[in-house]
Amino acid sequence: MKLECTIDGKALTLSVNSNKPLSLILMEDLENLSISSYCRGNACGNCIVLVDDEATLSCLVPAFRIRGAKIRTFESFQRSRQYRDIERAYKAVGSKPCSSCYNARTMIIESILQEAGGGSSKQPASPPSKEVKLDKAKVARELSLNTCQCMDMAELIQIVEIALGYRNRRRRVRRS
Amino acid sequence: MYEGVRSPLIYTPRSIGEFATIIARHPQAIVWAGGTYLISRGDYYPAEAKDGIIDLAYMEDLKRITRNDRYVEIGAMVTARQLLSAGRLLLPPILQETLRSMGTQIVRRQVTIGGSLCISDTRYSLSTTLATLAASAEVKFYDEGKVTTHWIPIAKLYDNKGRLNVGEKRILLTRIRIGLEFGDLQRFTLFGDPIRKSRECGIVALHAKRDQNSLSKAQFCITFPGKAFHISKDLESKLSGSALPIHPERVNALSYELVAELTKMHSTISDLQLERARRIFESFLHDLNSQSLS
Repeated sequence: MKLECTIDGKALTLSVNSNKPLSLILMEDLENLSISSYCRGNACGNCIVLVDDEATLSCLVPAFRIRGAKIRTFESFQRSRQYRDIERAYKAVGSKPCSSCYNARTMIIESILQEAGGGSSKQPASPPSKEVKLDKAKVARELSLNTCQCMDMAELIQIVEIALGYRNRRRRVRRS
Repeated sequence: MYEGVRSPLIYTPRSIGEFATIIARHPQAIVWAGGTYLISRGDYYPAEAKDGIIDLAYMEDLKRITRNDRYVEIGAMVTARQLLSAGRLLLPPILQETLRSMGTQIVRRQVTIGGSLCISDTRYSLSTTLATLAASAEVKFYDEGKVTTHWIPIAKLYDNKGRLNVGEKRILLTRIRIGLEFGDLQRFTLFGDPIRKSRECGIVALHAKRDQNSLSKAQFCITFPGKAFHISKDLESKLSGSALPIHPERVNALSYELVAELTKMHSTISDLQLERARRIFESFLHDLNSQSLS
């Protein structure tokens, strides 16, 4: 089938099998090196992309569901300001995920930040006066989507908290 | 594109009538709700779907949540995340907890209510909880152009192994209905990982109504994905009408009765799963006791 979508800012017309998972389209057809997923839909959490600004496991999305969608992989996300917040948080804590789960973990953290009021195009950010408190148990649960054991959960939660702080501060500055 | 694998046709009905026309023409087509189960099957891709795929994503009728004084109705294409955010005020706590247990929010965005009830191994915990809440599902049966609609209690939707109990006909689960009279004791526990290690996990739910110092109604369901979907009418009737608090020895005896029943009816459940289920059941009854004494 032919389908049109936008991947990493490029408007593309793809000719792929209509039931091919998005993760395979990205890896095989577009040779996108930022995701690596071989779990075949069993939620290893390594193939997260943003579909219309919402974090999604690309191995669970078939081609026919991405018609007209805007997809952002880590490749373009790492050039965004949102990524800078997370990268700075890694530096502040002095620890970062290993190379095999770095991209996926960063995308999961981005999804948590959006949910916690960091804002996306679908979900407007909460007002800056309203400081959002993170539910650590919930954050830990979200982070456990990626099964890589390279980092301690406490460190990851700390990274999320710091990144949320950076993001809120940046939003306050922008509004003022 | 894989050589020799034909790209399946995708049908996108907008209404239940259109769906009926398509399924009559393509009776072997795959019906696609959220797809989280279908896509995770080992034989999903590359493979041919000869009769095509019917994508339910455009059927707005299946995306509604409605409520009146007596019950709430939830469309089959409502996602777990939508229901959780929309239903905080109208859903019982046990159902909210169940929805939260269905993976992370990233997964919940894709899991649909209808899809999670229609998969063949009850790996999602929703069916267990809905069975204890005495919910029912509207199921449309399609048989050679004829359409019949039935409201089926969720407890009767599965056989004792957890497989859909609807025969050979093609079906469409359109909505579920949950009564709004909830009991004061609602407990739900999930052990193990139902998606990554479904053969080792178990789901236990109990819903009970208390009438002063006795239980007026108790509903209990326990599921082991791919192995058992167990509702013990015997235990339910023993619990209903029991005076509270239940003596600890009786709690112990009841829990071993549950194990005996499970062992007799489902030989594939492992000893570890049985012991965990027994202890959870016991803890539910102890909770019930402490709630009655407080």
